[in-house]
Amino acid sequence: MGHLSTETLARLVSEAPTPGEAEHLASCSLCRSELEDLKVQTDALGRLPDLRPPEGDWEALEGRLVSEGLIHEGNGAAGPSRWWASGWLQAAAGLVLFLTGAALGPRIASPSFFDDEPAQGAPGDVSLVPVEAGSPPPTTLPEAAEAVRMAERQYIDALVRYRQLVDSQGNPSLVGDPASRFAAIESLVAAGRAALQEAPTDPFVNGVLVSALAERESILRNASLSGDGVF
Amino acid sequence: MTESQLIRQACQGNASAVRALYERYSPRVFAVVRRIAGDDDTAQDYAQEAWIRAIRALPTFRGDARFSTWLHRIAVNSALQALRKAETRTKRQAPMPAAIPVSPPQGDRDTLLGNLLERAMDQLPEGMRQVLVLHDVEGYTHEEIGGILGVTSGTSKSQLFKARAKMRDLLRPTLAGETENEEGVEAWGT
Repeated sequence: MGHLSTETLARLVSEAPTPGEAEHLASCSLCRSELEDLKVQTDALGRLPDLRPPEGDWEALEGRLVSEGLIHEGNGAAGPSRWWASGWLQAAAGLVLFLTGAALGPRIASPSFFDDEPAQGAPGDVSLVPVEAGSPPPTTLPEAAEAVRMAERQYIDALVRYRQLVDSQGNPSLVGDPASRFAAIESLVAAGRAALQEAPTDPFVNGVLVSALAERESILRNASLSGDGVF
Repeated sequence: MTESQLIRQACQGNASAVRALYERYSPRVFAVVRRIAGDDDTAQDYAQEAWIRAIRALPTFRGDARFSTWLHRIAVNSALQALRKAETRTKRQAPMPAAIPVSPPQGDRDTLLGNLLERAMDQLPEGMRQVLVLHDVEGYTHEEIGGILGVTSGTSKSQLFKARAKMRDLLRPTLAGETENEEGVEAWGT
């Protein structure tokens, strides 16, 4: 009997030999050695280590997952280079810009601007009613979102009325008066809290609430430092 | 956070949870896909496709099997299906090289042997490589392989024995050279 073929020996790695094959193996050291090598090869294949994906693999995959709507962008998975893409931070930054713009706007606007577009209601009837005090708390996300929009609207109206009163009455003591601003912020905080009950993880709502709370703290701190007793 | 919690959050589109699962299992997924694909260029695409499929199918994961087993099966099926879709695989039809190039040992003997085996597997014809990877590397039975590849278990066995023999033929000259250099005998374990 000639030597066993490599393919036959490969079979004998995991299967029993026939009597003829066993007889040959018993008498042929070359075939036994070849079989042993094949066993070592097979055993080594079973111990091959896992392989790490190439650099940038997650980033590419993340992009595909987002584009297919399988994950939400910016909810914590982004690496350091994408922190700015967080919706939470964008919302907070947006609100800060909004508050800054709303506060600075009346100061740099000309009086004629307000003459052309007077605010509704008679002078002096500025009344900001916190959402939670004047109406039942929102029970749905659209209602909560509407409450936030209403609070923003009230805030803008309050600033406009504030500017009109300053212009019409010329009372320097009103310049920098934080009362109406604080009332608007309070309204935003109340609306934000109500919205948060409906959507605890919503990044925009969280951003609005945190920014509003920070602004309220700032107003209170300034008032405390100046000894103002309006609060 | 437990794996079941990660899976639940990943189902809801939580990117952090998906990334945690990726970090945990991507080496396993990439390894099997890389060995089935046979080259680095396509392996990354196939692995990503496997992850897309897995995350998409995550709501159907009921926990009957281990998550790693479930994910592994998706990776295998995804890679095999992608290979079938590939129009031509001219690389696989190239003449087999006389020997695997030998590079100087850079690590321990397992690393050297592992590198030789990986490169030899890349040279196998596609069908042989798939069966060899699934059986000898991943531990699937011939019945399971038959079900995955749509062949009989007898065909799976036949392909496996051919693949082992081809691997041995590919590696023999290299290992003989190593023997002459008084390094390969110990490394190969003969």
